[in-house]
This record gives sequence, structure tokens and C-alpha cells, in this order.
Amino acid sequence: MIEVEGLEKQYGDFPAVRGLSFTVQPGEVLGLVGPNGAGKTTTIRSIAGIIIPTRGSIRIGGHDLAAQPVAAKSLLAFIPDEPHLFEYLTAEEHLRFVGRLYQVADVEARIPGLLQELDLADKRAALPGELSRGMKQKLAIACGLLHSPAALLLDEPLTGLDPVGIRRMKATIVSRAEAGAAVILSSHLLHLVEEICTRVLVMNAGQTVAIGTVADIVASRPALSGRRLEDIFLALITPDGDPRA
Amino acid sequence: MIRVFLYLAWRSTYNRVARQARQLRNPRYLAALAFGLTYLWIVAVDQRPEHPPQMLVGARWLELVGAIGVIGALLWGWIFGVERRVLAFSPAEVTFLFSGPVTRRGLVQYKLLRNQVLILFNSLLWTLILARERFGASPWLRALSIWVLLTTISFHRLGASFVRTSLLEHGRIALRHRVVSLVLLGALVIGVAWSIKDAMPDLAAGWAGGLTTFLDALTEASERPVPHLLLAPFRAMVRPLAARTLGDWLRAAGPAVGLLVLHYVWVIRADAAFEEASAEAALQRARLSSRERASPRLAHRRLPALLRLAPVGWPAQAILWKNLLAVVRTRRARNVAGALTVAAIVAGLLSFQAQSSIAEVAGWLAATWAGLAIVIGPQWVRNDLRSDLLKLDLLRSYPLAGRAVVAAETAASTMVLTALQAGLLLVAYFAFLGNGHMDPPLGLRTIALLTALACLPGINYLGMLIQNGAAILLPAWVHLGSGRPGGVEALGQNMLIIVAYSAVLAVGLAFPGVLGLLVFYLLGDDIGWWAVIPGVAVLLTGLAIEAAVLLGWLGRVFEATDPAGADIPA
Repeated sequence: MIEVEGLEKQYGDFPAVRGLSFTVQPGEVLGLVGPNGAGKTTTIRSIAGIIIPTRGSIRIGGHDLAAQPVAAKSLLAFIPDEPHLFEYLTAEEHLRFVGRLYQVADVEARIPGLLQELDLADKRAALPGELSRGMKQKLAIACGLLHSPAALLLDEPLTGLDPVGIRRMKATIVSRAEAGAAVILSSHLLHLVEEICTRVLVMNAGQTVAIGTVADIVASRPALSGRRLEDIFLALITPDGDPRA
Repeated sequence: MIRVFLYLAWRSTYNRVARQARQLRNPRYLAALAFGLTYLWIVAVDQRPEHPPQMLVGARWLELVGAIGVIGALLWGWIFGVERRVLAFSPAEVTFLFSGPVTRRGLVQYKLLRNQVLILFNSLLWTLILARERFGASPWLRALSIWVLLTTISFHRLGASFVRTSLLEHGRIALRHRVVSLVLLGALVIGVAWSIKDAMPDLAAGWAGGLTTFLDALTEASERPVPHLLLAPFRAMVRPLAARTLGDWLRAAGPAVGLLVLHYVWVIRADAAFEEASAEAALQRARLSSRERASPRLAHRRLPALLRLAPVGWPAQAILWKNLLAVVRTRRARNVAGALTVAAIVAGLLSFQAQSSIAEVAGWLAATWAGLAIVIGPQWVRNDLRSDLLKLDLLRSYPLAGRAVVAAETAASTMVLTALQAGLLLVAYFAFLGNGHMDPPLGLRTIALLTALACLPGINYLGMLIQNGAAILLPAWVHLGSGRPGGVEALGQNMLIIVAYSAVLAVGLAFPGVLGLLVFYLLGDDIGWWAVIPGVAVLLTGLAIEAAVLLGWLGRVFEATDPAGADIPA
């Protein structure tokens, strides 16, 4: 569903992403982890069609993002860490707006269930300014899920959510993947990645350090056997591989 | 504390200018700078005549006209309030300064300091603009005079905002503390109203004789005791600008600087708890205003049937719908629509009465503003990419071609501006409806109205494309967001932008306009006024071709714009 081949992004002389290649199949949840500045957000924004890669190709559902951006983006949903909402649209109108953009014919039928799922039913007529940070995040998530995207890109999706919201969000991600969506989840919350991701891509300095299931990664580095994901992560991104560094 | 404020103001300004200067590595920005400098050169230097030119408003009238302009600018602040603009704090300023160990008066001082950046820049611009007119004894003295004038106006508007806030927050109690300010304001308003009433017959007679006769009548009226007294401080503010020699300037500068100091003392009064509370309240209101921009209070949330969005259809229509909602839901839009409706009805009724001259004045004013809105309107109506580029990430993630995004965004502001102009034109039309002696007659006026209503959407669309194009091409240099720098302080830069935009629009309109007129004249002999229809059709076709070419290009630029490299402020 999501195919990334030789992705590179250069900001002036600074290489933000270097030669990244991976695929995410329908039903998979790929966790994107790495320290600050590793290139996670650049990668996810490139796949969302926001940033133009310097080199490499991205295909969504078989559509090349550079050659057929509209067809590729219509299969995607990108949910950023900072919710971007329009100040003059109510929660319900945001969903209608997105429904028209993605040509969701039964948008009116989908809205109540989605608002219920994200605990926003009583906020349907609220403007973004009347919503808390967490509620705004939930609304942004609802907008992303409305058209049942085949590829779901989430950048720190739990930021600002309360414990109930976090639990619901985790369940939503898993259920969307089970329904056949290919999910990429970028997060610093390693326990979240460990809990819901089927595979992990560890990045550092714009490059792939490791990719696979946690078991695969440990199998390729026997010294990490028996360690928690946090220790494995630190071992992978520190120069000498020492998790205590 | 002042050193901290100076450091913050200086470093912020320096870094901002440096960031914008770095954009010059991009050829697009370099070309824009070259164009801007050439334009300034032509406006300020190259066109300067060998001898002082015959000015539209001669030096003897400059002081009077300037004083009246200053009164208008200050009264505007008193009546409509300028807290948002004068006391606009950024989220970072609110976070660091409001919660920091800074007194409320300290915050006001900081704001005065920050406003100086805008004032100094505009003083420089005005100095260049007025270079042709040979105002002032020397460029340096002219710059100093403009700075004193703009700073005094800025201080006055801040003081006025405090008084307004006091009255709003404290009601009657504030009356006692603000008695001096309010008595002075009341005396000014009564005096101005009485003076206008007293001088109206002479002014009306002068108006009939042309601009020079009118200005002479105005000068004579201003010499009467009450107007003379009322105008004295405002003349003093403007006088250094009109001084022709160093001696004149030195004599004029004393009172002007004195007024500036008085205004500073008025705004920053020491040891007055009530002033502190007023400053606090004004700052809070300004802060709330900033929040309100993020969470506006709507006139109401129910949508008219026309503005319902069907779930399927042209996808980019969702953007058009969103942008129209952003306007029609605001109280301002509803107030303007209501005012225009009432004005059209009242003017229409008055036009059949004996007092039809009032309707005629209203009609001419409305028609003039409808025309001026072609060039000024895009500064008021900004519900397009100039607002939405701040959410470029979101726009780029939508499954829309760049061309469709630009087309929909531009259509939204075009529709709002055209609706405003249509309202003004209808007011003008109704204002002359009962006038049976007017030339052109009603039939021709109706044709003119219909022609304007047919042409304006095309003209406005091209104009808005130019404005949106500037935002796409030069996002780091174009002011993005719903608001924009305004007020007298920013008048210089806004004027330059409007003139430059008008020049580009004129180039765009020239070819289709000439073709349309040609068709009209060629067919006019045979089919009379019906030739307007093919003339308008040719004009609109020409505009549509230009718009299509521009849209294609801007769409490609939009798709190629990298949000990370565009340097769009967060």
C-alpha cells in the first residue's frame, strides 16, 4: 500500500532524510521512532505529499505521489501532532468540508458515528476556539478518519489526549489497521509503539538504523536480547551502541 | 527593564530582517526587490522635477488639510477603537511578558517601543514619497517631522484606547478619573460639529466653484475663532512638515515636540493606580481580542440554504465554501450588508423627496467607493490564500491540484469583494432613482449598473489572483493572516502596495479592456447600446484567458512550494 524507495530530503546542505526505503502493507502498523531531528516528521510529511522529496519515489496504493498526487492523496490521511483547524468552521462542518474534499457521498451518515467514536458528540456545533487542546486533536483525527483512508499517517497522534482519549485512539488505530489500512505511526512513546505496531523503523540522522519486528531487530543483534524496547532504542541510536550513554 | 525590551525589540527586528534578506538567494525574491527598488526610484527620485511642482494641495493649505486629516484619524480611534492594532501582543509576548515580573505600565512601554519599528519604517517611506513634493527644509528634517507626527498619533490612539477601556470596564467610576480627557474630547466634537454647521453654506458654495475655491472657503472658515482654537494643536502637529527653512522648522518643532511629550505623559502617567488598572484592562482586552481572532464570536451558526455544501461535486468547492463562511458569519459582514440595505432604501426614498441632494451626495460617495474598492478592496477582503497559507501543510495534504486550490481560494475573496461593490453600486443607483433631470438618464444608468455588475467579477478575479500570486511567490515578504498592518502608522507602506498593485492590475486589464472597448465602438453605430453586450463578452473572455494562464502558472508554483523552504511564519 505504501512504498517508499530511496527517499532523500535535503535542506540546503543538511540531509534530513538519506536513502530511506520501506513498504507498509495493508493491515500493518509501522512505528517510526528515532531521536529529535532523526527525520521522522520529514519522512511522514513527504509521504503525505506536503514536502517535495529531493530524490526517491513514494507510491500510495500504486499511485506515484509525484506523478499522480491527487489520486495518491485521496487514499491518504495525515494527522499531524499539532491540529490545524479552521477557526470559522464548527466540528461538524469540518467533517462536511473534508467529506466534500474526499467525495464522501454518505458523509451525513458517517458523522454521528465518528463523533461518537471520538467522544465529540456533544461538541458538534463547537468552534475550534471553544475546544480544549485534546478535543482539537480528536477533531483533527476525526477529519482524517472520515473517508476511511487506505493509508493512515500519524505524527505523534496522542499529544494532548487524556487517558481515555489515548485508550480510544489506540483502539481506533488498531481497528483501522485490522480493517485493511496501512498505518505509519511516528511517536516518541515507545510503549505505544511496542503495544500497537507490527513493525518498527528506527531512524537516526535521516537514515534507517533498523527495521522489522522487535523480535527481528533483537535477532540481528543478540546483545540486545532480553532488553526492553527503550533499551534497544537507546542502544541503536547511540554511537557506540551503549544504552547507558 | 527597558534594556530587556530594547534587546527583545532589536533582536526580533534584526532577525526578521535577516531572515527576509536571506530569501534574496532565491531569484524570485531578488527580482521582486529589484522591481520594488526601481519602483521606489521612479516614485521618489527619478520623477523629482527641477523646480518645486504645482502641488494639488498648495503649501498654504497643507497645514490645514493635514490638521483636518489628523483630527479624522484621531476621532476614528476614539469612535471605533484601535486596541487590537495598537496593543496587539503575540502569543510569545503574552506567555513571557504577562506572566513575567513586568508591570502593566512596563508592558505599555514595551508596546510603544515595538510600534516604533513600524513608525520608523513608515517615516522613511513617507520621506521618500514626499521627496517629490519638496516638503520640509531638508530630507532629515522632513523625516524627523513625520516621525514626530506619527508617534504623537500613535500615542494618542493608545491613550484613547485606555479611556475607552476604562469606560467599558469601570463605567461611572471611570468618568471621574477620565473627566479631563472626556471634557476635552467632548469640547472637540461639539466644536467640530458647530464649526461645520456654521461654515456649511460657505463650504457648499465653495464646493460648487471647484477645489481651489473650496479650499479657500475652508481656510476662511478655519480662521474663525472656534475652529481656529480647535485646530491649533493639530496644526502644531503638522506645521514642522510644512516648514521651508531651518528657522521655520525650529520654531514649529517646539510645539510639536511639546505635544508629543504631553501625549507620552498622558499614556504613561506615574503613580496613578487607576491608570495602571486601565492599562491592565486594556491589555487584557487586547489579549482577548487576539484570542477572539482564533475563536471568533459569530453572528450565528445556522447556515443559509445557499451555503449548504453537498457531499459530492467539485472538491475544491469545499475551500470556497469554507472561505465564504469565514466572512458571512462575522458580525462585520452582517453589519455592512445591513447598512448597505438600509442605505439603498433610504437613499431611494430620499431621491424622490425635496432633500434629494443628500441622496445625491450618498450616491456619489457610494459609486466612488465601489470604484476605489477595485484597488483598495483586496486590502480589506483577505479570505483567500493570504489567510490560508499559514496552514500550507493542511492545504498540501488535500487531494487537490494546485490550480484548483488557487482557483477556489481566489474565487472566495472575489465573491465577497464583488458583493460589496454590488451593494455600493445599488446604493448609488437607488440614490439617483428619483432624479428625473440627471444626465445620463435612468435607462443609461441602468445599463451602466448592469455592465459594472457583469464586469466586476472578472476584474476582481484578476486582481485577487495578483494578490494571491504575490502571496504564493513571495510568502516570506507578504503579510499572511487575516489582519494586516493598519492605521496612520502603516499608511505609507499600504499606499505603496496599493499603487504597485494598481499598476500591475492596469497592465492586466489593458489588453482585454482595449479589445472590449474596440468591439463596443465598432458595433455601437449599428446596434447602439446593445453593443455593450459583445463588448463585455470580449472583455470577460480576455480576462478569463489571462486568469487561466495565471492560474496554471500559480498552481504549478503552489505545488512546487516546499513548506519547509517557503519560510512562512507559524
